[in-house]
Amino acid sequence: MIESSYQQSVLRSNLFVVWNEIVKNIKTLLAYPTIIVFWAIFPIFWFIPFILQGQAFVGGLESANFAQITGSGEYVPFIVIGAVLNSYVNTLLYGMGENIRKEAYQGTLDYVLAAPCNKAYVLIGKAISESLSSTIFAISQLTISVLLFGMSITLGVMVPVFFIVILLILGLYGIALIMAAFSLMYKQSYDLSESIGYIFYIFAPVRYPIESLPTWAQIFGKLIPLTYALIIVRSFMLLGADLSTVYLEVIALLIIDLALLLAGFYLFSWMEEKTRKSGAISHH
Amino acid sequence: MDKSNREYRLREVNCPTGFNWGNLKAELKAVWESNVKDWKIEFAYPVSFIRQLISPLVFLLPFLLYGIALVGGRYSENLAQLVGSGDVVTFIFTGYMLMGFIGTAVWAMGFSIRRESWFGTLEAIYVTPSSRLGQVLGMALHSTVHQTLGTIIQLIVIYFTFGLALKIEGILPALGIFALMMLALYGFGIVISALGLILKEGWVVSDSLYSIMTILSPVAYPLIVLPTVAQQASALFPTAPALIGMRSFLIENYHAEAFGNVFLHLLALGAAWILFGVVVFRLTDVYVRKRGLLKKF
Repeated sequence: MIESSYQQSVLRSNLFVVWNEIVKNIKTLLAYPTIIVFWAIFPIFWFIPFILQGQAFVGGLESANFAQITGSGEYVPFIVIGAVLNSYVNTLLYGMGENIRKEAYQGTLDYVLAAPCNKAYVLIGKAISESLSSTIFAISQLTISVLLFGMSITLGVMVPVFFIVILLILGLYGIALIMAAFSLMYKQSYDLSESIGYIFYIFAPVRYPIESLPTWAQIFGKLIPLTYALIIVRSFMLLGADLSTVYLEVIALLIIDLALLLAGFYLFSWMEEKTRKSGAISHH
Repeated sequence: MDKSNREYRLREVNCPTGFNWGNLKAELKAVWESNVKDWKIEFAYPVSFIRQLISPLVFLLPFLLYGIALVGGRYSENLAQLVGSGDVVTFIFTGYMLMGFIGTAVWAMGFSIRRESWFGTLEAIYVTPSSRLGQVLGMALHSTVHQTLGTIIQLIVIYFTFGLALKIEGILPALGIFALMMLALYGFGIVISALGLILKEGWVVSDSLYSIMTILSPVAYPLIVLPTVAQQASALFPTAPALIGMRSFLIENYHAEAFGNVFLHLLALGAAWILFGVVVFRLTDVYVRKRGLLKKF
């Protein structure tokens, strides 16, 4: 009986940590409204050149070669979906890694790490707040794209898409945890995030079908969670496919997520212990 | 201490003032030292240095692979109808080659002053007896050389992977156009660095301007696919006329889509942007010092 109420209290305290981390991050974001407007609108400007390039090269809104490779010749929704899902990479990868560094810059990292709570819950709070803001920005970008480029989206399609986005976020959490771990020890997480961002940008089918890459690069690309998320979401939204058609990709995404999360949590705990012992936490 | 005193004369620092050879030489030395300082910082972070060297290539590849996926090869019938040449690889490469230099103006120059503020060295720089613009130009020099190295790597990789059909005899005039474009871009960069002095979240403005300039520059598409208003707006920035001018010298059968005499256009833009940049920078400089805004970031 006593043990059960103790467990309840521990759970409540941990949820309290997660909740307050979310509130803190949202408050910080709301303090900079220009940044909210920027992330909600400006990523669209980054893919407009690709749409204009398409118009110049094929002289219309459909490409016969694209249709042969992907099953759909419409390159505009292809680009929009790629850009919106890739925005999760931008915000989650850079956001999580930098979040830890920001605590160090602001002089609060020592307090966070010395607080009598499990640090995994602090990270979960940070991850959930980053996911919330990323989703709000993604919805905004998608809505503007629908209005600008006349894409049609139904609620029936968006439900499974939402499920896949959650799986993508889980995989990115794993990578972000690995980067946060390196950030604790080696500080310059920015270069690591940027380099991983480059790999995603080239090897995942963000702007072009994965079949456009050489075979070795396709194999490498298939280790990235974003690749599967893009293939599945495009199959739902552009080809009208259902879960039975893409179940293999969903299973692959689940396996990659699991591996990344396990590696992330293990590495973070290990690095945290190491930095505590070496006293490297307060260095920046 | 009496001015005729020997010790006074030894301590005296002669700072050349006014527009004369001595002053110009001192300012050029400050520009050079600022450039050297940036290289030293750069080499202290080798991973960052290498990452930035290959970044022009990383950002070019998606444009190339996407273009090839769209047309199923390297020849686009539609592009040939629009500009006279249908070689998508050469077209995109000659366009994207210049994109990094927009980044030089917007990021390296625009954020040179802001970075000093983050490092905590801005106030020290502000009290040195040299022009603040010299600091910005020093960092611009470093960034231009850095970007040039990245572009050379880009050229080598693309040449050996995809092959490029460039007119060798067009390289010299193309370099002339490039120099004129850089002059105007430096003016643009000075404006951004002035904004960086006032705005707390200046990167938002820089990134927004960079995004708009990217769309208005015919990097991976001819200018003709843009709406008329955007085509007219692109004439205000140096990249669109420079890209069109360079392509007409470098690509076989390419016919320029707009702008008439590109050299005169770029000269006018260069003079206008530099003048505008220097005036805005001076005004901002006086404003932030009067208000004591330097310390805030």
